[in-house]
Amino acid sequence: MTQRIRKKLATRPVIILIVAIVAILAAASTWWYYSTPADRALALTKIRSITIFGLLAGGAYALLALGFTLIYGVSEVVNMAHGALYMLGAYVFFALTVSFAPGEMLVRFEPVLLDLRLALILAVILAAIMGAIIYRLVIHPIMGDLLATLVATIGIGIIFQEIMLIQFGAHGTRRVAAFVPGSITILGESVEWNTILSFALSLVFFIGLWIFLSKAKIGKAMRAIAQDREVAMLMGINTERLCMLTMAIAASLAAVAGIMITSARHAYAYPYMWYAPLYMSFAIVILGGLGSIKGTFMGAFIIGYAEIAVTFMAPEVVFLKDAVALGIMVLVLLIRPKGIFGKRIEMEE
Amino acid sequence: MATYFRRVYLSFAEHVLDVPPRLLASMIFLILLAYPITKPPLTILYVLSVANIMAIFAASWDLLVGRTGQMNLGHALFFGTAAYATALFCKFFNLQLWVTIPLGALIGVSVALIIGFPCLRVKGPYLALVTLTFPLILISVVKYFREITGGEEPIINPRFFPGLPMYGKQLADYYLTLALLFVSGVILYKIANSRMGIVMVSILDNELASKACGINVTKYKLLAFAISGLFGSLAGAFMTHMGSGASVNYNTYLGVALSFQAIIIAIFGGVGTIYGPIAAAYILVILDMYGLGKIFGWFASNNLIPASIIQIESSMHWIMYTLVIIILIIKWPRGIGRFTTDKLKDLQEARELEERGKHIWKTYKRKKEESEHASTRS
Repeated sequence: MTQRIRKKLATRPVIILIVAIVAILAAASTWWYYSTPADRALALTKIRSITIFGLLAGGAYALLALGFTLIYGVSEVVNMAHGALYMLGAYVFFALTVSFAPGEMLVRFEPVLLDLRLALILAVILAAIMGAIIYRLVIHPIMGDLLATLVATIGIGIIFQEIMLIQFGAHGTRRVAAFVPGSITILGESVEWNTILSFALSLVFFIGLWIFLSKAKIGKAMRAIAQDREVAMLMGINTERLCMLTMAIAASLAAVAGIMITSARHAYAYPYMWYAPLYMSFAIVILGGLGSIKGTFMGAFIIGYAEIAVTFMAPEVVFLKDAVALGIMVLVLLIRPKGIFGKRIEMEE
Repeated sequence: MATYFRRVYLSFAEHVLDVPPRLLASMIFLILLAYPITKPPLTILYVLSVANIMAIFAASWDLLVGRTGQMNLGHALFFGTAAYATALFCKFFNLQLWVTIPLGALIGVSVALIIGFPCLRVKGPYLALVTLTFPLILISVVKYFREITGGEEPIINPRFFPGLPMYGKQLADYYLTLALLFVSGVILYKIANSRMGIVMVSILDNELASKACGINVTKYKLLAFAISGLFGSLAGAFMTHMGSGASVNYNTYLGVALSFQAIIIAIFGGVGTIYGPIAAAYILVILDMYGLGKIFGWFASNNLIPASIIQIESSMHWIMYTLVIIILIIKWPRGIGRFTTDKLKDLQEARELEERGKHIWKTYKRKKEESEHASTRS
């Protein structure tokens, strides 16, 4: 009996989602029955803000984790330098747009050196070139060795961190410029345009990647590599060059995520900023299933909603926000050891 | 020139590396035991104590990953849990050190078993990334219970033998960690080469096949977690009593950098050989904490590099260290432990071949002489 249930759970991940939604609805309805009207009004506002901000946070996380899952899906490389490329994007964007005096506190400023869009494009191109170089010099000689890849790429992350430390200093006293100033009111919540822009960008990249992988010739070749590397090589696909291209795409996605997220949150760019996004992208990617783009998108929204729910419903444990996200990941893995959509890119159409 | 180096290397290999490994290990241990006779400065003693601790830590990681193949990237979890447990026992219950360290180790083992259960289900990169997250969860828990754990402030622990003078304390640290290293190194090596170790290697090679052979895979995986957790947490518990308290930081207890340091040391030493990580810990920790700084200082004092680099020395130090690691991983993936054993095997084979060749040459000569004899007689 239990085996049959387990088999069904393994083949149909949607069942878990439906059960979870039903459980949440049941809990909510019992609460609704026993609560006072004032409580209900407060809860409604909270639910509204959780819905909006969770959606936006999920979009940002999806943008963050897409590159990570793409490079794993195509060439089975767990790329720990993803966080470093995220940081590189943010720092280069910041260095191109803002001229600063050391130690000066900048809150809002006009772009001084370059147009913001031009700076974005330049930073992304630089990150893509950097990703290709990293692939060629470091990852390619040790392909297939999981442990060596992990250690070498985390080493790259540390090198980037120290270079940024030398070049820009340890303190996060500067901020990345805002793309679109101002905010808009949606359902009584004031949301900044920047956040919406990053959400839209993540949607665009998700759909674009999907179409690229299913329609374009290079995308099809990438899926062929994911399916069987040697046979793809026999079919005349230049696997090395394509893996390098994949790494470049992943790196540029990381850089876009770095620029958009840091500018949307008005966050400081500081040398240790690459750890947190790296962990979050792990949690997301594992939750969704390594190498599955659909799963990554799903995982991003689950983690985003969980984090925002913790911040709004229990503000006193906001320190435990990361722990909650990672705990959800561990719980999901206990039920499904390969994530919700534990498939690889080749299987998705 | 190259031939000269080759001859030097060959004579070195023939005369120094040729002693039995057990004798070599005990000789090195005796040298380390006698080293404080030369009255080294405090910093060197401290560096050597840290090297001892890191050697135990990396060797315990090696037993888990090199033998069973359970890819554990969060080994700092055991280290940090034991460190915090001993520190909190010392702070709140005023227990003696000789009680708190075993208690901390016990808690470390139980944590290892607790996380071992969920880790049985996941494999490969999933396991690696899941184990990486456990210390992170613990870090945010430590930060949350600020009143008890002090948050990011370290908990300062009493040192071993607080009555001694400064140098005596450091000497006591050195000898205690060296004794711990000796005992745990021998135990780990014996376990790795016993029947249990062979079973663990079979799980690493092919889990399904070893299951089919009637091996209880679950039991051995959990055992590997428990043993590895025991020695990892012993290292952590000793480390808290060496001057720096338990704290949450990037580089110290519970940090990702600590887990990765163990992995780097084990890879450099050769994954799966217990003695490799122990040797590599000495090389890398001394290079990391003492050697690189000296090298930079020498270059700067001879005006070979600008003195401004000294100001950013810690950054340059990290960059150099990681570059060395990356190059070593790419160019020399088998590690020094396996490299040495390979060379020794080559040497033995060469000697056997040589002897066989001598034997063949002798018989050939004898036969030739006999035939010549016969021909001359006839």
